Amino acid sequence: MSTTANIVERFCSLTPELVVFCGSVVVGVTGLSKSRSIRNATSFICTLSLVLALIAMAQNWGGRVSSGILLPTVSLYVGALALLMGIGFVALATGSMDRLYEDALSRGVTTFDANKVFRGEFFAFMLLSICGVMLVPGSPDLIWLFLALELTSLPTYIMVAISRGTRRAQEAAVKYFFLGAMSTAMLVYGFAMLYGSTGSLQFVHIKDALTAQAAMGGIDAVGTIGLIMIMIGLCFKMTAAPMHFYAPDVYEGAAAPVTAFLSFIPKIAGLTALLLVLHAAGWGTSLPQSLQATLWMVSVLTMTLGNVGAILQRNTKRMMSYSSISHSGYMLMAFIAGPELGLPALLVYLLAYGLSNGALFGGLISVERQGQEIEKLEDLAGLARRHPSAAAWIALGSASLMGMPPFLGFWAKLILFIAVIKAGHTPLVVIAAVNSVISVWYYLRLAGVPILSPAGPAAEGVVKAPSAWPRLAAMVFGISVLLLPFFLNRIMNAATAAARPVPNATTLEVQKATAVVIAPTVVDRTHPN
Amino acid sequence: MSGSFLAVAVLGDAAQAAHTGSHLESLVNAVIPKATAAPELAWAGWILLLPVLSAVLCTAFAALRVKNKLPAIVTVVSLGAAFALVLKLYLMRGPEAAPVVVHLWDWMNFSWGGGPWKSFQADVSLYIDSLTLLWMLFVTGLGTLIALYASEYMESDRGAGYCRFFFGVSIFLLAMSALVMADNLVLLYFGWEGVGLASYLLIGYDYHRPAAVEAAKKAFIMNRIGDLGLAVGIWLIWVNYGSVEFATLFQVFTNATSDAGGWDRSLIPFCLMLGAFGKSAQLPLFTWLPDAMEGPTPVSALIHAATMVTAGVYLLARMEPLFVLHPHAMTTVAWVGGLTALLAATIGMAQYDIKRVFAYSTISQLGYMFMGLGVGTAFGAAYHVLTHAFFKALLFLTAGAIMHGFAGQLDLRRLSGLRRVPGFGIVCWTMLIGCLWLSAFPYTAGFFSKDIILVQAMSQPKFQLLGWIGLATAGLTAYYTFRVWFRVCAGPVSFVSGELAHQTDHAQHATTADLHGAPHAHTGTASHSSHANESHAGGFHPHAPRLAINFVLLLLGLGAILSGIPGIQSLRGQHNWVQEMVYASTAVRASGELHTTTPVAFGLDAHGIVSVFGIGAALGGILIAWWLHRLNRRMADRLRSMLLSNSLTRWLPTSMENKWYVDEVYHALFRLPMWIASHLLNFFDRHIVDGLMVNGLGRVPVLIGRLFQPLYNGLLQGYATTMAGGLVLVLAWVAWKWLGAGGAA
Repeated sequence: MSTTANIVERFCSLTPELVVFCGSVVVGVTGLSKSRSIRNATSFICTLSLVLALIAMAQNWGGRVSSGILLPTVSLYVGALALLMGIGFVALATGSMDRLYEDALSRGVTTFDANKVFRGEFFAFMLLSICGVMLVPGSPDLIWLFLALELTSLPTYIMVAISRGTRRAQEAAVKYFFLGAMSTAMLVYGFAMLYGSTGSLQFVHIKDALTAQAAMGGIDAVGTIGLIMIMIGLCFKMTAAPMHFYAPDVYEGAAAPVTAFLSFIPKIAGLTALLLVLHAAGWGTSLPQSLQATLWMVSVLTMTLGNVGAILQRNTKRMMSYSSISHSGYMLMAFIAGPELGLPALLVYLLAYGLSNGALFGGLISVERQGQEIEKLEDLAGLARRHPSAAAWIALGSASLMGMPPFLGFWAKLILFIAVIKAGHTPLVVIAAVNSVISVWYYLRLAGVPILSPAGPAAEGVVKAPSAWPRLAAMVFGISVLLLPFFLNRIMNAATAAARPVPNATTLEVQKATAVVIAPTVVDRTHPN
Repeated sequence: MSGSFLAVAVLGDAAQAAHTGSHLESLVNAVIPKATAAPELAWAGWILLLPVLSAVLCTAFAALRVKNKLPAIVTVVSLGAAFALVLKLYLMRGPEAAPVVVHLWDWMNFSWGGGPWKSFQADVSLYIDSLTLLWMLFVTGLGTLIALYASEYMESDRGAGYCRFFFGVSIFLLAMSALVMADNLVLLYFGWEGVGLASYLLIGYDYHRPAAVEAAKKAFIMNRIGDLGLAVGIWLIWVNYGSVEFATLFQVFTNATSDAGGWDRSLIPFCLMLGAFGKSAQLPLFTWLPDAMEGPTPVSALIHAATMVTAGVYLLARMEPLFVLHPHAMTTVAWVGGLTALLAATIGMAQYDIKRVFAYSTISQLGYMFMGLGVGTAFGAAYHVLTHAFFKALLFLTAGAIMHGFAGQLDLRRLSGLRRVPGFGIVCWTMLIGCLWLSAFPYTAGFFSKDIILVQAMSQPKFQLLGWIGLATAGLTAYYTFRVWFRVCAGPVSFVSGELAHQTDHAQHATTADLHGAPHAHTGTASHSSHANESHAGGFHPHAPRLAINFVLLLLGLGAILSGIPGIQSLRGQHNWVQEMVYASTAVRASGELHTTTPVAFGLDAHGIVSVFGIGAALGGILIAWWLHRLNRRMADRLRSMLLSNSLTRWLPTSMENKWYVDEVYHALFRLPMWIASHLLNFFDRHIVDGLMVNGLGRVPVLIGRLFQPLYNGLLQGYATTMAGGLVLVLAWVAWKWLGAGGAA
């Protein structure tokens, strides 16, 4: 009986995720409608379900905190962030899905054919992916984590493929899928080894087991290798070295709104999953030296490869993919700083990165040429004269990502760097600072070309995109980047509150009860009696 | 002359009464009360929010292409509401209430545990004491009135320009309110930059004219130099005192008797000073203000005469507790102020553009305010700010009404006898009020406020020379002020229209001429105007101001008259609210006049001396102006040509008319070297940096990028191999390093 009650309780605490899931079902069904107007309404239904999920989350705040998962408050913060950013991503994608077909329809060249419209599927998959990322930080065990991660990633493969009617998108999707499958294999292998080492799939038990091992002279080889494999597998999701190779090709091949989505949603899924795994491995107290060193190396490699790679790019989306890689490197620094100092800084950085990135992509998406998105840096020349708002959002986004005061990105970087210095990793911050200087190279070019360069022949025919939604989203992102620094303390307080460990006496009780349901054949090696 | 001696006797007695039986004795050695939190005053945040609201609405109107006066109405109403809130705050608290801090919301609050820089806190909070309220009363009050004036003045630009103008005014008021009400230096700095931005936007309002754009850039760049000083000063304050919040800082300063410390500590007041001198157009950063007159006249009145330029005075008055710990800094402030006052007055004497004359008089009067702060009478300085705000705004608005009426004509040689032009009566008579007040005519507010500063200077031996400089400047001020009035308002009626009499203006005149009875008698007798625009002068009708402008002018005239009341009270030894407000604020410690009961200079009563010479200077200046510019104007021209023809005296009028070549000197000293340096650096950059560094060191990241580029070849197998290889490498490394020896990490 108590098990059933627990399942009901667990479901109740997952109301926001359920709302998003139901939304995706509704969007998927309405997306199959034969009526063009109903299909066009899918993005509104999508937004509506995200808003409803936000409301559900606000209603259910306390339920999640007492639900007995490892990081309840982090899961709320990340969930709310994913939902809010998700609304922005829907707005960014609204105009560009089926752009050419819609154009042909409105010109009367063709008639409506339900088989040629992918809007419904696209938004349904987008919601599923957001649902997945919301489930990640709330995972009580490895299986849940695995499923949540796959729920985040699998829809994105299809989103890449259907986002544009070009072969490049399909090629990108295939690459993304195969490499994603490989990374998942590494991840699952790591899970298996971790299970072999600790004898449990429950994070709470894994944590106890690993702490016990660490107290007795260190985590054993199987566990260490497992943890490292999990970490490397997760590096794929967060586009960190050495698993970042796919990112430039996939980001370039996908449509810009999907690129914006990819550079945020799977990334936070990977980061929060790493958060959970590291927590279980005794983050901040008894994290093995090997993991710490691997994190250090991965972080430095990621930021350096990202920034150095971006310098050479002339394609804006490819440049943004390297930028996204480099920011993963910065964010990994927070893991090295530890839970007390690094976690709040990471959460603030996530917000700042998401908003700045969104503003930049919003600026890029709100202009087009002959119904195609613009990709080359030269296309942007002289944009400030023709479409000052788009140029402004691009410049603002790059300035914030670069870490230029007084924008949000600067404060996030400052908080992060200070946290890492306080944790005693000054050399790492020096490397990150050098990387920031290198990043100025390409961010300034991205900000400067639209404003300073005269419009050359390459920039002919660049016009404002017909849909107002990307412009609106860019404006909201941009204004938040400008204004949120005035509420810095509030953000910092929210992040600190989310990062604070929740003392919860019932955690173990709940975990043990659900463990029976999910993994009935657990052999607890660490607690023989 | 006997009349003036009588006045001196009366003033002398009254002054003695004021200082012997003063209730203010108790304030000697006063400590600044610690500010208490006042969450119940949170509604004061609306003073900041209302201008935000009107700025947002003006933007919305611009987007909706509103063509009517809606932006003006919204701005006037919201600024008026802000003024009402300030007034409510003042009435609730009275002039002498203790300071309070109203916390609106958290902004920045970092703490880093140990180390020398432990924490940094700057919230969006308001520090409300009597000095804040004194400033806010005239900032929001004059802001409302001038916005009302501008609603008529700017009406020919209705549409996008009109929205843009009132947006600028709104963000100016937001930034100025933030500057004055800030409870920490960071928020103050935000406001400081904000008013600079608003000033830049509004000077360059007419961005089609290159002169306006140049002036806007000049103002912005010169202000940036000052802002750098302020930023460094704030940083040094944080480093040295560990806080940027006024409430904490004042407690530190109050408990200190001297401020011995490192060189950086003694540098702080000079850094703040640089910021103040930039914003308030003092030596050496004053040259932007005359050029700023390229902006619309309401902007000149609001930003460049009444409010923004007094921000420097406010900053120093606010930080007086710090400045009194640095006597050298106080002396520097006094001397910079005095010299600026004199220099600007001499330039003002030789200018022909009415607004430029007033601009130089603004610089000169701001010089008096800094002199007042430096010699130790914050009351005198603050009182002069208040009186000056009224009469200078009034003068600018009358100049604007003339400019509005005569299609941009501001050359005082081409306008004469306007008081007889129908519809310009109120303009001329309110201008006379402004001129009398500016020239410190006896018993006007300007006289009282200047008197307090000069007496304070005279009664200290080390500042006596400054006192004489101030008196000489007063004479010059009276001369150049009345030179304008006698030229423009008195004498025979004659005018030449300006060059802005464009088509739309004529069309407007055709429809509105009957409404406000524009005169049809046009007597264009301007003989010495060489390049008068004849085609315009032929059919030109002056465009007399209407209700909004006249109403605002009368109200400001009334305000100027009323602003003399505290001066009279001060002479009679009664309470006066300006003094009470200054003494109840942080500026109290600088009030050096408290220490001498009877100010003495040369063994005589300082008030007597200052009054005699002050009245003499004012009346003498006015009389000379009357003689040269009303009775025989040819004499003035002859005097000028006489001076010019003599090779020994030629330098005087030429250098005065050319503003003592300060712009040229700056050009030679800074702009030219910068230009040469920038070209040299450009050469260096192209041939050395680009050629050597970028191809060498700078190319390293690119080379690294190239090095890794083969890895990103787009082949799926390649990627998979690299990724798996990466994993293997990491695992091998971990296994070799940690797992090899003991089998456990």
